[in-house]
Amino acid sequence: MATTSALSSLSSLSLHNTTSRITTSSRPTISFSFLKRPSSLTPLKASSDQTETIFFEDQNPEITANAVFDPPSPPEGFVPAPYFDEGADETEAEIATAYEELYGPAYSGESMLGKDVNVMDSKLKKGGGGGIGGQKPKKEKIRDGFEERVVQVRRVTKVVKGGKQLKFRAIVVVGDKQGNVGVGCAKAKEVVAAVQKSAIDARRNLVQVPMTKYLTFPHRSEGDYGAAKVMLRPASPGTGVIAGGAVRIVLEMAGVENALGKQLGSNNALNNARATLAAVQQMRQFKDVALERGIPMEELWK
Amino acid sequence: MTKRYWNIDLEEMMRAGVHFGHGTRKWNPRMAPYISAKRKGIHIINLTRTARFLSEACDLVFDAASRGKQFLIVGTKNKAADLVSRAAIRARCHYVNKKWLGGMLTNWSTTEKRLHKFRDLRTEQKTEGFHRLPKRDAAVLKRQLSRLETYLGGIKYMTGLPDIVIIIDQQEEYTALRECITLGIPTISLIDTNCNPDLADISIPANDDAIASIRFILNKLVFAICEGRSSYIQNS
Repeated sequence: MATTSALSSLSSLSLHNTTSRITTSSRPTISFSFLKRPSSLTPLKASSDQTETIFFEDQNPEITANAVFDPPSPPEGFVPAPYFDEGADETEAEIATAYEELYGPAYSGESMLGKDVNVMDSKLKKGGGGGIGGQKPKKEKIRDGFEERVVQVRRVTKVVKGGKQLKFRAIVVVGDKQGNVGVGCAKAKEVVAAVQKSAIDARRNLVQVPMTKYLTFPHRSEGDYGAAKVMLRPASPGTGVIAGGAVRIVLEMAGVENALGKQLGSNNALNNARATLAAVQQMRQFKDVALERGIPMEELWK
Repeated sequence: MTKRYWNIDLEEMMRAGVHFGHGTRKWNPRMAPYISAKRKGIHIINLTRTARFLSEACDLVFDAASRGKQFLIVGTKNKAADLVSRAAIRARCHYVNKKWLGGMLTNWSTTEKRLHKFRDLRTEQKTEGFHRLPKRDAAVLKRQLSRLETYLGGIKYMTGLPDIVIIIDQQEEYTALRECITLGIPTISLIDTNCNPDLADISIPANDDAIASIRFILNKLVFAICEGRSSYIQNS
């Protein structure tokens, strides 16, 4: 009870839209899980007796205006601590020791407690080569269960005073065949390096494709990015993926077996790939919509 | 989160000058709910709300510290630089008080390489390696070392990305805030009347110009961190 009241008071204070933060598994995030975001609680509370739709109820200015500051009473014998710059100055050695107890010697170059100073080197070599974006010199072709497919490799030039500087731009689609896809684009001086870079970029923005049990979409959708417009339509099992170029590769990497897709606007490969991602992001599963609207699923099919 | 008593005194806040905002012409209209009045061309911040936010922030910080999370305090205004370093050292947190290098968090792998270099230079300095080199090389390395010390001195104990970031002036540290948002790191920041309160997770409306007001707020947060740390040490 105390936690819910604390959470609701927090939500009543923050004039805050937390929708724009998409944390996926491939990004190095620190899970802020001990404090659930208030916005994740509200969609599931839809009840049929709440007829008026109050949007941004927790961001209503009147409620923050009524927020009274009533601190709990001070405990007995409370002595306010001195400010941080008053009080005795600590020697450098004391500070270094205190930090080292908490964090280990890390990058300080000297160890007060006699610990190994090069502890970070061994950690780097052992554990996270690909963890926080470090590059291992030797790389497995398929890591983390994601398959990569190159959509397009183009040679691009930059004209400088001395002549033309050539680079390669690779567009790669990365996906496990279970509904997670990502599109990445990167440039490098060599084709292989460009492909690897763009695979990393692709893993950074993954999208979840909602799929039915027959490995197709729940409904039609259109998505656009730039001048590329893509229309996606579900199909009955046995149809296969009927789409051109970049759209086909994205859908195949997602694991979708039966779908129809058409590029309606421009033919640009990168923009079409991104447009399919946009189209797929708009799609909702039936049960999610029913949950959000608070109505049984049968109503949606009428 | 249980509510604790943080000794937030409204009179003390007024004496520190926490309620002064920036000039009326420079305000961000999104700050309207937190502004109580306009006096002599300056907006006055509503201190009850500030106190409420500050106590919530202290609760959050206490909770996080008692679970052993890592903090980073960012404050690069030259008025606040000294305060930030002393506050962070007192609370045993990481801090950035000189310029926030772009990509410090989002490009953490490169920052880590600089930290490695920093550590190697420090060890060489300790083992008198600089005396063996010719004078020019030694001078170059010393210059590099001093440069790394100013920019990375506060984060030399940081092994990974921090869990909570405290930002002193949102206008000034906009890049830092943006980096935390892309990485999904929760932020607490001091908002003045010209800032956008929706960006940070917990925004404390306060005066970011006066040293006394920054000192007051930092003191409360540092106190909360210390308390949380001591309970973490007791429990583990």
